Amino acid sequence: MTHPAPTPQERAETGAGAGQVHRGSAPRSHPGRTAAGRPLRVTVGQDSQAGDTGHNQDFHGVVVPTGTMLRSKGVAIALADGISSSPVSHIASATAVRGFLEDYYATSEAWSVRRAATRVVAAANGWLHAQNQHGDARFDKDRGQVCTFSAVILKDRSLHLLHVGDSRIYRVHAQALEQLTDDHRVHVGGGATLLGRALGVSTVVEIDYRCWPAEVGDLYLLATDGACVGLDAARVHAALAAHGDDLDAAARLLVRQAQASARAAGTRRPETVHETAHETAQGAADDATLQLLRVDGLPDPGSHGSLQDQRQGLALPPALSPRMSFEGFTIQRTLHVGPRSHVHLAVDEASGQPVVIKTPATDQREHDAHLDSFVLEEWVARRVDSPHLVKAFTLDRPRHHLYVALEYLEGQSLAQWMIDRPRPSLDEVRGILTQIAQGLQALHQREMLHQDLRPENVMIDRHGTVTLIDLGSTWVTGLHDEARSPGPDTPAGSLQYTAPEYFTGEGGSTRSDLFSVAVLAYQMLAGQLPYGLQIPRIRSRADAQRLQIDPLRNHRPDLPAWVEAVLRKALHPQPLRRQEAVSELIFDLQAPGAAFLQPRRVPLVERNPVRFWQTCTALLALALVAMTAWHVLDG
Amino acid sequence: MAYLAPTEFVTKMVDAGESKLVMSTRDTLIRSYMAGAILSLAAAFAVTVTVNTGNALVGAMLFPVGFIMLYLLGFDLLTGVFTLAPLAVLDRRPGATWKAVMRNWGLVFCGNFAGALTVSIFMAIIFTFGFSEAPNAIGQRLGHIGEGRTLGYSAHGAAGMLTLFIRAVMCNWMVSTGVVAAMMSTSVSGKAIGMWMPIMVFFYMGFEHSIVNMFLFPTGLMLGGNFTLMDYFIWNEIPTVLGNLVGGLTFVGATLYTTHYKPRAQRSVA
Repeated sequence: MTHPAPTPQERAETGAGAGQVHRGSAPRSHPGRTAAGRPLRVTVGQDSQAGDTGHNQDFHGVVVPTGTMLRSKGVAIALADGISSSPVSHIASATAVRGFLEDYYATSEAWSVRRAATRVVAAANGWLHAQNQHGDARFDKDRGQVCTFSAVILKDRSLHLLHVGDSRIYRVHAQALEQLTDDHRVHVGGGATLLGRALGVSTVVEIDYRCWPAEVGDLYLLATDGACVGLDAARVHAALAAHGDDLDAAARLLVRQAQASARAAGTRRPETVHETAHETAQGAADDATLQLLRVDGLPDPGSHGSLQDQRQGLALPPALSPRMSFEGFTIQRTLHVGPRSHVHLAVDEASGQPVVIKTPATDQREHDAHLDSFVLEEWVARRVDSPHLVKAFTLDRPRHHLYVALEYLEGQSLAQWMIDRPRPSLDEVRGILTQIAQGLQALHQREMLHQDLRPENVMIDRHGTVTLIDLGSTWVTGLHDEARSPGPDTPAGSLQYTAPEYFTGEGGSTRSDLFSVAVLAYQMLAGQLPYGLQIPRIRSRADAQRLQIDPLRNHRPDLPAWVEAVLRKALHPQPLRRQEAVSELIFDLQAPGAAFLQPRRVPLVERNPVRFWQTCTALLALALVAMTAWHVLDG
Repeated sequence: MAYLAPTEFVTKMVDAGESKLVMSTRDTLIRSYMAGAILSLAAAFAVTVTVNTGNALVGAMLFPVGFIMLYLLGFDLLTGVFTLAPLAVLDRRPGATWKAVMRNWGLVFCGNFAGALTVSIFMAIIFTFGFSEAPNAIGQRLGHIGEGRTLGYSAHGAAGMLTLFIRAVMCNWMVSTGVVAAMMSTSVSGKAIGMWMPIMVFFYMGFEHSIVNMFLFPTGLMLGGNFTLMDYFIWNEIPTVLGNLVGGLTFVGATLYTTHYKPRAQRSVA
């Protein structure tokens, strides 16, 4: 990670002390309009003043993007406070805030806010730490690039908080200030404290993270410790009342008041990592930075905002038939007509390449969720690059209709493969599973779940390359409000491959995709489903517990027992009892651990029930004969 | 566009059949119980209209409201699952077996019967003031409706049984056509119109519907019909169920599946 010299950004308002011009002085409301639905709206105010030392080591900034960026990434506001014992900590605070605000907006849209934001902060920490390793600061952290860091991200209808150090984030209530962060200060006795956690101190930093739903009218206050002196709800409300919607002015007033309070009280906490001896002069004010964020409007709940945006202005395609020209493609023939979509083989007129065109089925034209899945499929196919996932066809002309253009894969579906090979060898199955797993891993790494894994959605080409198709049901964490857990929007088609937790309402995880892979593995080997039709009938956790697996050895006694043990683990009704990741399942199938190799003595009644009952009956018959004989002989 | 192409709605039929097989026992029972009850109520309503107007056509024209209601509410009749459930097995859907089909049919039969019996008891109470007086005109009509359709068949012996069976076949041919017609359209009005015609035909023509009979005959027994429980089962219900099965499966399910449902394009799919 490199940090460029401070450059003004169009969409960002970064402000700092330490000799830099404070920009973004006028308070403003940011409508951040998007094409569809109600937009997210916020009002921001901020101010920073150097303390009595004359050097402002604080840095702060806010980014309120517009359009799709607002939908996909939200509003970010951050401040950092460089430690006062260091002559270079103002660089640290500027680097941390600038780096965060720039890099957060450069992360993948598919990532969750938590993942994107914590990674960016961790990277900033790594950079600062590396800088410190080069200079004198490697022996004395108190002289290095060390700062606190606090940020709030407002995306969709959720607020996310990231925090390291002793700056504070408050929620302003009518009567009180609710402190949402912990001060990472360590008490060392005698009333002295030192900073327990900060950016730049060590290679790894623990970042506090919280997420909660936002409400319209919420007011949040971020402040460095210098601005917290004497801060209370009454003072905040008085400042707001004095300046109305001008939150910048309110912030300026609050900062001045805090510095005045500090001078009057004559206490100032030392900001050091190791030393506690920096008792400061009586009556000196620290650098003070304060930011106010008011939530003025939230987008409608439950909407795939960015997907709807992409769907805007696209007409529903007409019914396609062979030899018809459609959006620069010539339709060759219809591959599949289903209740959800129609799939056609077409040729791109410009390049002559074959392409698959997918259009919504008649029945689904009024279902917004289904139409969104069309946009989603291409969105995912463009972002995830794996040889085992279907690719989107690159289109360099504007489109007028809602359809998906995908690469054409010649081959057969896994469903057909299973019919052609009723009793495949373990090696063949492993080869296919490994490739399915690689496709899934590519999705999982980007916090996506496939959610619709079934034999019809796995294609095998002539060379044996396996590709996952139909990405329309993919769960993309970054596209959802994080309070929701994954779940199929429209469960359609075969539910026999869906993991039990979807039916009990617990929601899916990567282990749910793992379950589906294991069902495929079992079906390839046994020709049967492990649980028959029991899974879609599940309504509660108790139902899930009652699931009875059909032992694999009943169908394939030739396979080693550990294969069954590995699959049993992957097919466990409880997600947490399964393997942790798809890669672990594949590894277990290649190199089973000792736990799977333990020879488990299977009782006769399970191994061969017919023989067991035959023996029982024979013994009883013998007993009967013996008793009859004894009776007769006994007279 | 409110009309689905045949290939589309036949796929929908197979999907519907698969969803019947994977339905939980509780849901299957509740849905079939409610279907039996609503259809019985519609039958009671149609008989009332017929008696009051003296015109069977009016009753037959109004009877489909019950069927439409239960279809739109997502309830299951035995006649419908006779047609749909086997399609999942024919299409080799994963896990679909004849055993699962039999389970579904058995559960739906029990649910339909319980629902119809509930309404027949309620109706008997209504028509006789809680069994305190002789049944009113409608009650008498209901009481004797079953005689001709049990003893009447038995009087003709094997020929009667054949007639009964064919009437049952014709019945589900019509009723299942109604079910399929409802799938062809995507709007409520379209579904209702699609179901209306075949249902009206079956009711006016006096074809034997196993669930309607689950209401008519127990009510008849309670309201003084001159036939026995055994007459009902042997000379009506059991042959009707079998006839409904044959009618729905052969004339609707298998025919549409065979002619309109291409096996999925297995060798070139994306």
